[in-house]
Amino acid sequence: MQKSTILFLITSFISTLFLVSCSSVNLVQDYKTVPIDKPVFQNTYFANPEIDYVYKANISVYDNELTGIFIAKKINETTHRVVFTTEFGNKLLDFEISETDFKINSIVEELNRKILINTLKNDFRLLLKNDFLVTEQYENTANRVYKNQDGKNDNYLFSSKTDNKLYKIAQASKTKEKINISFTSENNIFADKIIMQHYNLQLRIELNYFKQN
Amino acid sequence: MKISNYVLVFLLTINSLFVVAQEQKMSESEITSFKQSVNAVAKKITTITTDFVQYKHMDFLSKDIETSGKMYFKEPNSLKWQYKKPYNYSIVFKNGKILIDDEGKKSTHDTGNSKIFGKINKLIVGSVSGNMFDDKEFTISFFKTKSNNITHLIPKDAALKKYIKQIELTFDNDDFTVIQVKLIESSDDYTRIVLKNKTLNAKIDDSIFNN
Repeated sequence: MQKSTILFLITSFISTLFLVSCSSVNLVQDYKTVPIDKPVFQNTYFANPEIDYVYKANISVYDNELTGIFIAKKINETTHRVVFTTEFGNKLLDFEISETDFKINSIVEELNRKILINTLKNDFRLLLKNDFLVTEQYENTANRVYKNQDGKNDNYLFSSKTDNKLYKIAQASKTKEKINISFTSENNIFADKIIMQHYNLQLRIELNYFKQN
Repeated sequence: MKISNYVLVFLLTINSLFVVAQEQKMSESEITSFKQSVNAVAKKITTITTDFVQYKHMDFLSKDIETSGKMYFKEPNSLKWQYKKPYNYSIVFKNGKILIDDEGKKSTHDTGNSKIFGKINKLIVGSVSGNMFDDKEFTISFFKTKSNNITHLIPKDAALKKYIKQIELTFDNDDFTVIQVKLIESSDDYTRIVLKNKTLNAKIDDSIFNN
């Protein structure tokens, strides 16, 4: 093997390592650090206790598709009730979740798997969380990013400068991105479309707001 | 007790009397004749086409979730629920298979190995045609009001019972077909399906069930 090839391999290996170890930083790679403009960032998409948040849900887990209706409602200061039903209205999963508590009201046997429950618990805690304590802030010409420390992970909240709308939450560990939640919202009161994409397992949840008569 | 309390008790009593008067238990002879009428109608049914509105009631919500569409049934066991509002979603039950069209995204599933799904499927077909007075599967009681006959069915199967505590079928007094299906869960939340603009025995093309 030629010396240059070896050098190339070593360089590639090191740069790959470097990229992996810095991939969480990549989330805000093109941004510059700026002073924090507010101590708490609020996600208001599920915050109004008067609103029944009802969505058509499409869930892809590995090669399986599951569809149904997703309902979330803020039932007190700290807690949301979350229900998944089939299109016919049969409940598949019904739970209550806050930042510290999690209680299952009912679950069908097919979904009663610890790994699935823990994943959904983490996902929906992130989706429904109202207040994020800001530890760092970044910006570029179009967007602001608020960083929030969440146990071993960091949450990055992306909002556009023009209308101050939250359009993405990314959760990452020190080395890799875990979940990406993207929001499409016309009015900032609720999100019309939400896509939750996992990177460490093949799970994608798409929610489309349900315009009732 | 204050006078207002007496008034309240009086009103409550009247109210409960009224409720009892609204839904009365059928006598044995009424049950026999009602069953005969329903079975006679169900036997003659070859197809059903109907609009439906589905209301999902959950106590913690401020209002019921409403979806609606069209339902097709063809003897012996082809059934299609086509939701049109607020989304396009249709599900066909045919020859032990489930065919789904979710906003153009199609998929097929087997019901063969799912006993519970088979039972739910039978229950849906039976609910719509009214042909479900099966004493082996349900504990059935019969009620009547001025304008309707109502049956309450309590599943005997433990697996089904976990999902559905009671099924209430409301029949039209004139043509003895089902006009409302209410599926009550163990939590008392329920799904209520109202059937309207029903047509019996009109020709339905088989392609409707191809999905």
